[in-house]
Amino acid sequence: MNQVWAVFIAKTHMARHQIASVRHQSKLKVAVLSIAAIGLWLGALLIFHLGFRWLIHFGGQDGSEFAFGTALLRQSLSIFALSIFLLMAFSNTLVAFSTLYRSREVVYLLQGPISYTDFFYARFIESVLFSSWSLAYLGSPMMLAYAWNTNAHFIFYIAVVLFFLPFVVIPACLGTTITMVLVRYFPRMNTLTVALLGGGTLVGFFVYIRSVLKGARFSEMQTIAAIREAMDSTQSPLFPSHWAAQGIRMAGDGNYSETLFWFLLLLSTALFAIYLTGRLANRIFYPGWSYLMGQDKQRIKPMDRGPLACLNTLLRPLKEPYRSLFHKDIKLFWRDPTQWSQFIIFFGIMAIYIANIRNSTRLYETEFWRGWIACLNVGAVTLIVATLTSRFVFPLISLEGRRIWILGMAPLTFSQLMWQKFWLSVALTSFFTVGLAVLSGHILQLEPLHYAITVYSVFLSNLGLSGLAVGLGALYPTFTEDNPARIVSGMGGTLNLLSSVAFVICVVSIQVLVLQWKALDLYTGEAQFRGTVLVAMGLITALGALCTLLPMRLGLRNLNSMEL
Amino acid sequence: MIQATQLTKHFGEKLAVAPLDLDIPEGTFFCFLGPNGAGKTTTIKMMTGLLRPSGGTVSIGGINVQEDPVAAKRCMGYVPDHPFLYDKLTGREFMRFVAGLYQIPESYYQVHCEKLLEMFEIAHVGDQLVEDYSHGMRQKLSFASCFLHDPKVVIVDEPWVGLDPKNIRFVKDFLKEKTRNEGLTVFMSTHTLSIAEEIADKIGIINQGKLLEMGTVAEIKALHENPGSLEDVFLTLTRDELAKPIS
Repeated sequence: MNQVWAVFIAKTHMARHQIASVRHQSKLKVAVLSIAAIGLWLGALLIFHLGFRWLIHFGGQDGSEFAFGTALLRQSLSIFALSIFLLMAFSNTLVAFSTLYRSREVVYLLQGPISYTDFFYARFIESVLFSSWSLAYLGSPMMLAYAWNTNAHFIFYIAVVLFFLPFVVIPACLGTTITMVLVRYFPRMNTLTVALLGGGTLVGFFVYIRSVLKGARFSEMQTIAAIREAMDSTQSPLFPSHWAAQGIRMAGDGNYSETLFWFLLLLSTALFAIYLTGRLANRIFYPGWSYLMGQDKQRIKPMDRGPLACLNTLLRPLKEPYRSLFHKDIKLFWRDPTQWSQFIIFFGIMAIYIANIRNSTRLYETEFWRGWIACLNVGAVTLIVATLTSRFVFPLISLEGRRIWILGMAPLTFSQLMWQKFWLSVALTSFFTVGLAVLSGHILQLEPLHYAITVYSVFLSNLGLSGLAVGLGALYPTFTEDNPARIVSGMGGTLNLLSSVAFVICVVSIQVLVLQWKALDLYTGEAQFRGTVLVAMGLITALGALCTLLPMRLGLRNLNSMEL
Repeated sequence: MIQATQLTKHFGEKLAVAPLDLDIPEGTFFCFLGPNGAGKTTTIKMMTGLLRPSGGTVSIGGINVQEDPVAAKRCMGYVPDHPFLYDKLTGREFMRFVAGLYQIPESYYQVHCEKLLEMFEIAHVGDQLVEDYSHGMRQKLSFASCFLHDPKVVIVDEPWVGLDPKNIRFVKDFLKEKTRNEGLTVFMSTHTLSIAEEIADKIGIINQGKLLEMGTVAEIKALHENPGSLEDVFLTLTRDELAKPIS
């Protein structure tokens, strides 16, 4: 039997058993997860559908003065394809490091009589699946919405499925090649060089994104021409993303021969890329992996040196045991790059968004639009926080599980432990989000009252979201798991995410109602407006307190009643 | 059967294994002893082709592991101290997977798989997921899969972790019988000196990356000024001021 096939069959068996194990899990958990997955898919479909419809309306439909709507929509497909291509290449660079170099399975497979090429292909299949399933999940509603809005030919649906595999394989080959080359030729680089290179790449990426967004100034007179120009700058006949977009677009028009041409171009490139990457793996994988395995693993971290040395001073005002717990949590987080790199990506996206508000101010000079943007900013920032608390804060209690004997034996109550996690989360999230809220308010030149409402809402959301994450994390702990990603994927994690999103929607809705009524001049006077603001802030405060105290109380009760 | 010539490994600046020469003939039960961090696992990883040596060569059955790793691995089996197994496969599915990996003919697999599962007393749980196995069962499955392709050399890294006395006895007898009757060569790293003393044909003692002594149990024991147990010799040799000859 071919070895790649043997691994593939084994993985198929594993997937089957994994799916079959669902019947042994809690029915409630399965129901919550299924409803959440279907709801998210349908929500994405609705948002894409409405967004595309708006885009067609914005650009102008056939028969009107400007009939660029459909053209804009088609262009957006090209941008989407390029973005996905870059994201796939980036995610494969990360995933390949884990699947090819870090997984325990690698050692097991390599001790067998398997050639490095076969080993590579066996792991590559997994790498592609890992990095592309979410694209299939969230890309499908987008494609469906696109087809509805452009009245696509039936061949479009077949083409989307056929183009998918070669389209994801090419960036996967690119990302994997980058990883293998980095591991083979750059492992000797010191931390400073790596940090400078990484920082340079990130800055370059942000500058590029900013230049593209700048081209799309909504405030210019020739808005649509500017948008088209910006869109064109992301296209090149040399990009595989361009071939995929062109092919799918042609399929939508029912143009068989053009579709086939782009498909064959993409397929042949994908096959050649697979072949080349396999050959490359045969040459450079093993020397790189062996070097990585053979590196001196002694990492000396003197207490009073390094970037975390300032923690001693910063945390001095705190009393024990909180100081030690803060110290431990921050150091564990800092020393796990997989954790803080995601943190940086989230806030990097947020920073680009806030920085780009400047480009929109001239169009939105009215109070109506400024109010909307202020509310959307609160929504965007708090949704990012909701994602972060669900991903990083929710698993904190569970992660203590295997070491609970250390905390369990210490003169420390669970209440102290939970509040320490809570304030750690509030402090870290507020540091970034309140700063972003202040910055966006300043850029939008909000009135003082609007300014205060925005900042207050963001801060209060941090409290509520942290309370939900810590409380539900204690209510639904997974003490047997060390992997935060797996802890989050359980029922508790899903419940926390859904509750957090619901909380954010409530906070933003209250704010929108108050500010838009003012913008539409529906208040009888200033006194009524101020009274409504007071009531609204009271409601948000009550909601924040409820989301903080109730889950914390339930979680604490659960921990106290557990036999650990 | 196992030959290492000037086998060396550096981890950065640190010398993990100093130039090591080994020649272990076919049918030998070789025990590799040393304290924690002595270089045992690094040596084993170089032998199995998992680590590239900084210098020197190692060959298994006359095949150079660095030059032709696939052929060398085909004739050896490896059981690590904490074996990696696929939790979401059943025992039989795992054996089937290993058969595919070693490209074992279907007819051979059909006969030997069941025989090994029976022999290691895990046939009755062969259709259960590995995640439901106890540590001992996992270790037995790891041994069963290691012998599926009938290796000529078996490298075992501290196999007694988590095994109960009955299983220890079984594994010990099984390996001993294979070396005596079928000419299997066993290279075993262990901390359990009493077992090494009982079953080893030859013993090597390593510390701080240097092979301090090598010989039969009797030869090693004779190194001590007051010949006693292997434990006495081991502790004397691996003292901090080691590498000094025993008086």
